[in-house]
Amino acid sequence: MKFFFSILILSIGQLFLLSANEKRLDKDGSIRIVQLLRQENSVRRYPDALPSLLKMLNEQTHAKFDTDPLFIDTLTDERLFENPILYVNCDEQPNLEFPKEERDALRRYMELGGFVYLDAGIKASFLGADLGHSYAAWEERPEVRDLFSLVFPEKTFIPLGRDHDLFRTFFRGLPSNKDLKIQSNQKRLPETVLTFVEREKWPQATYSFVGLKVKGRLACVASPICAMGWGRDEFGAWIPPISFRIRESADNFDDDLKLASFSGSTFEVTREDGLKDIIYSETGQRPLWVKEPNGKWRIFKYYSGEEISNYAHAFYSRLGMNVFLYALLN
Amino acid sequence: MKIVTLFFKILFLSKSFSQVSPSSTFEVLDGNYSNLQGQEQNGSILTQPKRSSLVETVDRAGLDLRNSDVGVRVGAAKLLGKYRITKSSFLLVGALDDQSALVRRAAVVSLAEHFSNGFYIYDKPLVEKIYSKLADPDVEVRREVSTMIPRLISGLMRGGVEVVEINGRRVYRSVPSSLRPDLLTMTLQAFLDEDAIVRQNTLKYHNYLRVPLPLQTLEKLLNDDDLGVLLTALERISTNASHGSIVRLIQNLSSHKDKGIRMKVIAVARDANRYHPGYRSTLRKMTQDTDSEVLSMAAVELARFGEKVQPSVIEKIKDYLLSVDGMSTQVTTILYAVSALGVDGVAVYRALTEHTSSKIRSIAWQRYISTSNGWDQVSLWMPALKDRDKGVRKAIINSLGGRTIKFSEAELSLLVESKFSDVRIFAAQNLLNADLETVSSLGFDLLIDEDTIVRSTTIRAMSTMRVPGWVKVMTRSLLDSDYVIQRAAMDGLLEDRQKGVPALIEYLSKNPQSRISNLAIIELNKIGIQL
Repeated sequence: MKFFFSILILSIGQLFLLSANEKRLDKDGSIRIVQLLRQENSVRRYPDALPSLLKMLNEQTHAKFDTDPLFIDTLTDERLFENPILYVNCDEQPNLEFPKEERDALRRYMELGGFVYLDAGIKASFLGADLGHSYAAWEERPEVRDLFSLVFPEKTFIPLGRDHDLFRTFFRGLPSNKDLKIQSNQKRLPETVLTFVEREKWPQATYSFVGLKVKGRLACVASPICAMGWGRDEFGAWIPPISFRIRESADNFDDDLKLASFSGSTFEVTREDGLKDIIYSETGQRPLWVKEPNGKWRIFKYYSGEEISNYAHAFYSRLGMNVFLYALLN
Repeated sequence: MKIVTLFFKILFLSKSFSQVSPSSTFEVLDGNYSNLQGQEQNGSILTQPKRSSLVETVDRAGLDLRNSDVGVRVGAAKLLGKYRITKSSFLLVGALDDQSALVRRAAVVSLAEHFSNGFYIYDKPLVEKIYSKLADPDVEVRREVSTMIPRLISGLMRGGVEVVEINGRRVYRSVPSSLRPDLLTMTLQAFLDEDAIVRQNTLKYHNYLRVPLPLQTLEKLLNDDDLGVLLTALERISTNASHGSIVRLIQNLSSHKDKGIRMKVIAVARDANRYHPGYRSTLRKMTQDTDSEVLSMAAVELARFGEKVQPSVIEKIKDYLLSVDGMSTQVTTILYAVSALGVDGVAVYRALTEHTSSKIRSIAWQRYISTSNGWDQVSLWMPALKDRDKGVRKAIINSLGGRTIKFSEAELSLLVESKFSDVRIFAAQNLLNADLETVSSLGFDLLIDEDTIVRSTTIRAMSTMRVPGWVKVMTRSLLDSDYVIQRAAMDGLLEDRQKGVPALIEYLSKNPQSRISNLAIIELNKIGIQL
């Protein structure tokens, strides 16, 4: 099934390219991802991530991507229009303020069929300058909202439903022991972690994505940072290590956390249902706990280790591959 | 013998906890804490209960840890992870002996939270207590403790002095900075724990604990079914690398079904080459691997040792590099290492100049020209300037920068006719090295180029070379609507006081309001000419 699906994806991707740039496909035969890097000497966030993901795509599907992203420093670069997918790691950009010419070019690109993936386009406010954390908020970060209010004033980002095709374009479901290349009886994750992941964090291998449609087509998606989960070293080991933030409850938390000692600030974060979680966080520290709209209090616990990291990488990579393959279908 | 252990540490152990958060900060209610402020309900104002102090919260959690209800004990253990004070740590360490695995898991995760937030425990008995849970019956506890090993080291391996009372006499004696014997035994058992993560972590961190990896254990681990354990075990062979059994095991692993393991074997065989000749024969064997990437990596490592690589293998390396979709860490390594093949590598680089990946073409061109000593041979690198990717052309042009190249008119003509502006700019720059006849012949084509930089570069070259009619070219260019062109022409004229400066003065008298006029007047003033 996957085999035929792969061929379909490749064919559609090539059709897109043919219409966009026939000459290029004739010569290369592979799809090149354009990556925006506005400052060449800026600090890169996961520089090996995208090439590593594209290599995995080539190995695990029948799609053919050039594993070298084509870097551009301005959206007016004519080469952008020769390629169907633009990848932007929002954490790598000095800012998301673009001059009018670039905003116009971005609009034109999306109207002509280009797909824009804004990695780290979602970022909860309480994370501040901490680039090492992601948080599944369900709204685009303010800078992205400001930018697109100028690019497409008539449009807004909307959350992608858990049943969206993007989440099952090629890979379906969360990584199994077989996917993780571990023995069938080995614990994938600690029990509380696995339960939370399966039910709340990444149900059916979905994640908090928001998207923007242009001419009825999903032309742009934004997600919390996913690139951190795409890197593999030459021996196939995942890099860098990733930890999990899990919400955990206990019998007495609804009473105890209400009264427990706390100094710090609270932050409101939009949930999938549009309601707000109230995050309790102390300066310079990871968030402590959360009060949910239904009045339930839960504590944040942090898990790290090989199994956690491997699982997170496997998930982010499958998700990333789904996004790029979905982009080709659109 | 009556021994009363006073057990205080004179050296390092006096500072048990590095950080104690100021308790006052925990006692303050947050101003943004709006949801706990009075809320109106049914027309009446409800008064929210006041948050407890840090000490009260921790004391309450301590009591809850003794509750008969497991759920309450779990909640208390989780909550204590948020309060980084000595008392929380004591309570959590105590909870590690709870009969419920759920409580022990919560306690060890909370302790890990303390450590990861920089709140370390240095009190050796406490750290030893935490580390002893590496033998806990619950796998999640064992995993968590094994992950924490690097953070436990400073407390665990701490030496010092203890004072004991023996028969009424106080005796000072040293506390060794090594692992307690029972913990050492436990660590040795953890190498072969039933859980792969525990095995892998113990292997990864055993050096920190100064626990040697026994040969027999290493042999077992090199036969492990888990890929993570196997990869880590491969990194740990150095102290036993000369043993024949290890050499044989590495040789066996060179045909492992997992490609990552085989790639690791290559790295291990390369590094262990000095311990036993068997490693090099392993590399030779791997040049016949079914996977062309593995084969190529093994071959280039051999070439780096100075071994001659067979032509058939070189052909396979070439085919592999031609088939890859672009650069990656492995491809980069192999691509650069092709140089080690010597003369044979030149043909590989030559073939790669036609690769679909522009990055590979770019590197291949540079390497091909360098290994052929071809930077002086225009015909060798001229095709690179026809590459469709600007990056490739730029790499070559940058490499040519600073070299004096004597072009024939035909060669320069090819550059002038290029459809790429960067190549035409390069042509304009090289007018300086051409003879006057060639400049006269080709310069005017460049003067009418659609690209401003090509034109301005040509103007600068022509003025420098004083080609026949150059003053006329400059004065015409001063009339150009493009400021960059005007500026290049003005600079050219300023360089020649006999003909250039008078022409500039004449232009200024006729065009006093031109955009360039003010700057020209200033520049003339600088060389002592007042208008």
